[in-house]
Amino acid sequence: MSITEGMLCSKTHEYLYESGDNYTIGLTDYAVEQLGDIVFVELPEVGSEFVKNEVFATVESVKAASEIYMPVGGKVVEINEAIVDTPELLNESPLEKAWLIKIETSTVSADSLDLLEYEDYKDEVQ
Amino acid sequence: MKRTPLFVEHKNSNAKIVDFAGWEMPVSYESIIDEHNCVRNNIGLFDVSHMGEVFVSGKDSLKFLNKLVPQQVSKLVDSKAVYCQLLKENGCIIDDLIIYKLKDNDYLIILNASRVDVDYDWFVQQSAGYDVKIENKSDELALIAVQGPKAKLLIEKAGLSLDNQPAFFSIKKASIFQTEMYVSRTGYTGEDGFELLMKNEEASKIWNLLLEQGKEFGVKPIGLGARDTLRLEAALPLYGNDLTLDTTPIEAGLSWSVSKTKEEDYNGKRVIQEQLANGTDKKLIGFKLLDKSIARHEYEIYMNNEQVGIVTSGGVSPVLGCNIGLAYVKNIKDICIGAVLQVKIRERLHDIEVVKLPFVKKNNKV
Repeated sequence: MSITEGMLCSKTHEYLYESGDNYTIGLTDYAVEQLGDIVFVELPEVGSEFVKNEVFATVESVKAASEIYMPVGGKVVEINEAIVDTPELLNESPLEKAWLIKIETSTVSADSLDLLEYEDYKDEVQ
Repeated sequence: MKRTPLFVEHKNSNAKIVDFAGWEMPVSYESIIDEHNCVRNNIGLFDVSHMGEVFVSGKDSLKFLNKLVPQQVSKLVDSKAVYCQLLKENGCIIDDLIIYKLKDNDYLIILNASRVDVDYDWFVQQSAGYDVKIENKSDELALIAVQGPKAKLLIEKAGLSLDNQPAFFSIKKASIFQTEMYVSRTGYTGEDGFELLMKNEEASKIWNLLLEQGKEFGVKPIGLGARDTLRLEAALPLYGNDLTLDTTPIEAGLSWSVSKTKEEDYNGKRVIQEQLANGTDKKLIGFKLLDKSIARHEYEIYMNNEQVGIVTSGGVSPVLGCNIGLAYVKNIKDICIGAVLQVKIRERLHDIEVVKLPFVKKNNKV
């Protein structure tokens, strides 16, 4: 099964997919390509809670800092330490190795109404 | 939006295009970091045709130019160039530029793209009473920078032998790929390199020949993204960031470039002399971040929880492997090389250390 199957994407280029009891959030391959070389990632602390559309992370390319928004609300249960140490992983593998956070959420059905399926998102941005 | 004569070449190379001072310019072709390293190790081509070219001629040229800048233009011999700042009467910087003496009463000035109109108007306004002709040729001329330790080898291959290449901060008319143009030994990277000034209609041909013939030296086209990281490592100021209408050359750490013995009057002389004698309230410093975060333009600098300055340029240093920046701070003794201050990034303070400039040693003196 392709990783993009069941993946939902926001207009601000975050993705969301179900992983076990939780949901994984990351930055789309399109967004990463637009940003260019990623050199710094700031992630939230485990346990912090965010509502939909709230800024939860910052990703910096050589040129600029970009705020990353929650595609759905929830509580952070895990962060991807590997990308904090190796930000360039985001350029190499945005959809698989370089996810940003995992969350538990109870509002996914209401919050994901405006999200697009991956293929539709790709059509929209290209 | 304006386009340089090389716009089609950039599109064909899949460049990412951004708006820069009203121009559609390539910010990168592939990876900014790879492009940066290509210039430090091999050679890179930059389209800087958006920059301005103004020719000043006539019998009062020298007197006129000497009025505009705090440098001693009289010292220039034919074919030599000098880095200058165009000053207002209050000593603040309208633009930074390079004046090339082509011959007596014949000068070329290269200016920042964002300042061409302002500078030209200033030249015209200031020229009242001087017998000078001021010609803005910016829209007719293309400028290609060839930068990096192997630049001289490509220029040699293009028809100008090593012995005949202009020396550092010099210019000459030469034939490059059988095309007449001005070749200068200047740049904005801290590396050895050349800037080639030619008619717009020659630019595509020359650009493509340089790319093709430069393959054996590892040449790549380089965008504005790497141009910025390269100049920052070399601590070369950027107009609009590090130099503005609120700063003087003395505050900007450019005292080295200002003549201390110039007898002629020039705009801002009183302020410049006063600052040279008594110091300034603010000064430009270089710093490196002590963690992995990145300081950017306009972030605040703190010492003992009190704001003491503001970042003017900040970013990554691919060569040093850390993040660096330039900032204006209060000119006090405690802010010296080795001092640890803080920069506020997204409401949190991060330690920075004041370091010596340039961040990366320049290799441009030949």
